[in-house]
Amino acid sequence: MKRTAKIGAAALALTLGLAACGSDKEKVDAGGGDKTTTTAGEKPAGALKVAFVYIGPVGDGGWTDRHDKGREEMVAKLGDKVEVTVLENILDNAASEATFQKLARDGNKLIFATSFGYGDPMLKIAGDFPDTCFQWATGFKTADNLGTYFGAAEEARYLSGIAAAHASKNGKIGYVAAFPIPEVLRGINAFTLGARSVNPAATVQVVWTSTWFDPKVEKEAAESLLAEGVDLLAQHQDSTAVGEAAKEKGAKWVGYNDDQSKVAPEAWLTAPIWNWGGYYTKAAESVLGGKCDNSQYYGTMADGLVGLADFGSSVDQATKDHIEAVKKTILDGSFKPFTGPINDQSGKEILKKDEVAELGALLGTDYFVEGVIGEIPKQ
Amino acid sequence: MRVASIDVRLERRLAVWRGTALLVTSGSLLLALVVGGIFLKLTGHPPLDVYRELAKTAYFNWYGFTDTLGASTPLVLTGLAAAVGFKMNLYNIGAEGQLFLGGIASAWAGIAIVPGMPGPLAVLTVMFAGALGGAAWAFIPALTRAYFNTSEIVTTLMFNFIGLYLMQYLIQGSYSYWRDPKIVGFPQGKEIVDAARLPHWNFPADSMFGIAFPPGRTQVHLGLAFGVIAALGLWVLIERTRFGYGVRVTGDSPAAARYAGISIRGSIIVVMLISGALAGLAGAGIVAGQGYKLDPGGLAVALGYTGIVVAALARSNPFAVVVVAVLLGGLRTGADNMQSAPDNLKIPVAIAGMLEGAVLICALGGELFRTHRISVRRVPSNSDREEHLSGAVGVGVSP
Repeated sequence: MKRTAKIGAAALALTLGLAACGSDKEKVDAGGGDKTTTTAGEKPAGALKVAFVYIGPVGDGGWTDRHDKGREEMVAKLGDKVEVTVLENILDNAASEATFQKLARDGNKLIFATSFGYGDPMLKIAGDFPDTCFQWATGFKTADNLGTYFGAAEEARYLSGIAAAHASKNGKIGYVAAFPIPEVLRGINAFTLGARSVNPAATVQVVWTSTWFDPKVEKEAAESLLAEGVDLLAQHQDSTAVGEAAKEKGAKWVGYNDDQSKVAPEAWLTAPIWNWGGYYTKAAESVLGGKCDNSQYYGTMADGLVGLADFGSSVDQATKDHIEAVKKTILDGSFKPFTGPINDQSGKEILKKDEVAELGALLGTDYFVEGVIGEIPKQ
Repeated sequence: MRVASIDVRLERRLAVWRGTALLVTSGSLLLALVVGGIFLKLTGHPPLDVYRELAKTAYFNWYGFTDTLGASTPLVLTGLAAAVGFKMNLYNIGAEGQLFLGGIASAWAGIAIVPGMPGPLAVLTVMFAGALGGAAWAFIPALTRAYFNTSEIVTTLMFNFIGLYLMQYLIQGSYSYWRDPKIVGFPQGKEIVDAARLPHWNFPADSMFGIAFPPGRTQVHLGLAFGVIAALGLWVLIERTRFGYGVRVTGDSPAAARYAGISIRGSIIVVMLISGALAGLAGAGIVAGQGYKLDPGGLAVALGYTGIVVAALARSNPFAVVVVAVLLGGLRTGADNMQSAPDNLKIPVAIAGMLEGAVLICALGGELFRTHRISVRRVPSNSDREEHLSGAVGVGVSP
């Protein structure tokens, strides 16, 4: 009995092993064949090796998609002068240090990292690779060969707030917010200022999800706001779940990142969007010219980094004209969304009449303006 | 009417031959590669070339291999954490949460108590704090299992979620002691002092024996040494001490252990504490060796759960845990690397996750074949078959 058990096991293991070998054998030929056909040539010699590191998957319908569109635009402009590597779904924690080291060792001379958490790992190793230019999206620290890039989404947020106030019937607007960090607070404030420039009695009610991309949580948050009686929703996350919630309840919707009107055409108004292609092209050209831009680039609507998505069919001509008029003043620099008088939630004065907020202060935003209903966790 | 049929069934093996374990383990790994290969083929990738490239970037390349060792370090410790429990049929699914608590405790020690201490003492203190944190998180499930016979599978699993939310709250949900108030952007942990950081091993020269080493530190840090020493210590404890003998006897037969006067309660509590401490060490290694701060995004990457896979594949042998951890660590390193491979070998990251899943399923399936065997026999009639069915799991196949 014992003996047969042994033999049986050995036979079984052997069968598994042989089966494995058998199928592997077939793959040797197929694999070999494939290899000779596809690895032949096509690498332009002397091209600048550029790497993109994405936090999410291409096809997320938001943040990562926009960066990938920017990459496409850069490749279309520079063609053979660049050779691009794309890494998706790279967690932005300390372990990403190895990813950046490998990219640099593989000869990439320009690396775009599209999430906040990549900063510290990159800063740790940037000094070891002085010939590589690192670019940190949404970052706040620089080094000799490490620059940051981000932009004034608040300009487009302000305009989308105008669209929202025109569309809301009861002046009660909901905002599905990600994390209580300056970038998000700034967006909520700009949106609220825009809305209240149309309807001074409008309120913006905030719910935190503590997510960047979690459609289920974000939809539930949107539904909770709708249950409170808001008839319009705005958002900061990368999913389109808020739009779906708005569609189901017949509410209106201001999206984010990209033209997402297909998800809910009836609900869609517009959205602040990102156009990274111009910056990617410029940064690559500067490395091709032997320089690494290590500044803290903060793009605007005027230079095209930030934009406003196409309007939905329910946006009337009067609203469009209004937004176009304000947009013009933003583009020519005569108007900045954060211009006083601006009070915070409690009525305390933040900016005096005609006083314009400095960029440094905006990057550290830690308050809500008047008209926002919601809380920021306090220190 | 008497119709002959073929009866296929699984029977428990009376004795398990030692070699079977090795054969079944390697068989299941091979099978996983075959399953993965089928998917690769279906998605238009040459499987053998993909595997060769994966092995090349993760194992047969100086920096790739050091990256692999770095990725394996926490897996060695969480693998040992699961393995020590398996020795007495104790299923600690909570290495994940114990790792978080280890991270929390070591980050606290690194900020609060080690400043001023000399390097080696600072490092030891931070690692010890991590072990203590992990053990503490395992203590309550250990007590309820020992005294109320509560399923440790359920309690440790639930504790993982409490640990996760606690850790997230400390950084993202509040201005806790662990959070750096000076950083205005995204919430971040406070950094531990320099002295408490685990040193990284670096190649001694730019080139040796004609091999050029590109610049930059490697991902191998002192945490790996903690893992290897822990493996050695665990083997001695289980195989060479009276306590370990008690653990093994309890695992084989609790009744026999009780008869021999072994304290089962005591063994449960001690084994759970050791298991938790090992997982806590893994968390401390990540905090002190990699991120230098409490970072939920760096700790919550399923290292605890993967440790269970490591222990299962290693059949709870501490030395095998080290080897399997390096194999799986390489899969993780290789998977990310494959995205920057030559065009036809570029595989979607999802396939790497799928390969890991295939390894797990094949390993668990393999375990079944290690303890059971398939018997195929002809059965003369239906009436006879029914008698056979009692007592064995069987699947009847009529020709």
